[in-house]
Amino acid sequence: MDCGERPLEMTDTKNHTAGITGSLEGRVFTPGSIKEAAEAIELAFDYRGDVTVMLRSGESVAGYIFNRQEAGSDPYLELFPEGRPDPRCILYRDIVTIAFTGEDTANGKSWESWVSKKESERRAEAEKSEAVARTKGYL
Amino acid sequence: MAVPISQMYTVATYVLSQKLKGVKRYPLVLMLEPLFRCNLACAGCGKIQYPDHVLDKRLTPEQCWAAVEECGAPMVSIPGGEPLIHPEIAQIIQGLVDRKKYIYLCTNAILLERKLDEYKPSKYLTFSVHMDGLKDEHDLAVCRDGVYDVAVKAIKAAVKRGHRVTTNTTLFDDANPERVRKFFDEMMALGVEGMTISPGYSYQKAPDQQHFLKRARTQELFSKILTRPKSGWQFNQSPLFLDFLMGRREYQCTPWGNPTYNVFGWQKPCYLLQEGYTKTFRELMELTEWENYGTGRNEKCADCMVHCGYEASAVEDTFSTISGFARTAKLTLSPTSR
Repeated sequence: MDCGERPLEMTDTKNHTAGITGSLEGRVFTPGSIKEAAEAIELAFDYRGDVTVMLRSGESVAGYIFNRQEAGSDPYLELFPEGRPDPRCILYRDIVTIAFTGEDTANGKSWESWVSKKESERRAEAEKSEAVARTKGYL
Repeated sequence: MAVPISQMYTVATYVLSQKLKGVKRYPLVLMLEPLFRCNLACAGCGKIQYPDHVLDKRLTPEQCWAAVEECGAPMVSIPGGEPLIHPEIAQIIQGLVDRKKYIYLCTNAILLERKLDEYKPSKYLTFSVHMDGLKDEHDLAVCRDGVYDVAVKAIKAAVKRGHRVTTNTTLFDDANPERVRKFFDEMMALGVEGMTISPGYSYQKAPDQQHFLKRARTQELFSKILTRPKSGWQFNQSPLFLDFLMGRREYQCTPWGNPTYNVFGWQKPCYLLQEGYTKTFRELMELTEWENYGTGRNEKCADCMVHCGYEASAVEDTFSTISGFARTAKLTLSPTSR
């Protein structure tokens, strides 16, 4: 399916955390229906890490889900596979499992924990972040 | 006067032409995010939490120019990530200057002084430097010591070369009004053209979830900061938006006023919420259910008073109501009359 073929319905979702709190890193979902697949994909869409999607063909695709289109006759998601420049389109009905395999980049870095850390810990963390940026040539 | 007359004229004629054409929803500022990668890791930012391979993605100059032309907004704000990391950002900027767009290049200024040679001063280009307060507050907000001093040095260098420079400041609930007023004094003393201020927004993915301002607290804080403004302060934003922050005017959000384009496409519905993406600007405008967003319409919007949603509302007020036009004119000509 061409990802450019978009139905004219909207799929804006007001809450795509589906009541699950905490990080999903390490979890694996095996949906038993399109509805369950849609729920798992909403979680994956909201997740700030890579996921691995196992397809009915036996293929496994790892990458970052940045969009999904639930409306229409054949719902699909869009994912940036690691190491490839272009996004890939995957139909909901082709999905067997969704595993939250990548690091949850938004987890465990609260302002409170930053402020409550000892000065030495904060300084060490800031220096580490600075060193990473310097290594990559961004400073 | 903070905003040059030519820019005011361009924006005014653009808004009036949209009205004459009967366009109900029109973009005012394109938020162009050419990359998400940053050289800071601020605790209040929700824009950088992505896997490395996503952070390494960048819009090409051609993609940026196409988005700008497709959108048609007279102003382009370039946040990120840190735009100065982008290896082709100078080329992107030159292309936008050639298109006579008013550009606000938002930067933490860490790389600014080093890269100034790549830019020619232009009335179309403004370096909008991220400054969240005086040295202690700013370095804490960006989670790195010394950044304030680097930014101040870069601002001085850019001003000296004749560039337009503004500051952009996000205020959190621990802001001290007196310290913020002192901060304004210091920024204006650096020779910046003007300042922009906005309350923070609780990004769903920002690490800092408890720290953002609630609506009433926002109005209280901004009233304390902006009442009896000093004559030297200049703000590079709508005076009615500042009234709104102080609780003196009520607005509904205008999410289409600042549409966002990045490596994922056109972001629905606004710069702050990520409900999905479209491939074209037209799809964004036609397919987004705008009535689902804004104060009282969506729990995610409940406490939001951020400029990217409400400054366009303030501009609309200026051009749609006599009271809005009169108030804008009064505060523009006499900012201390607030």
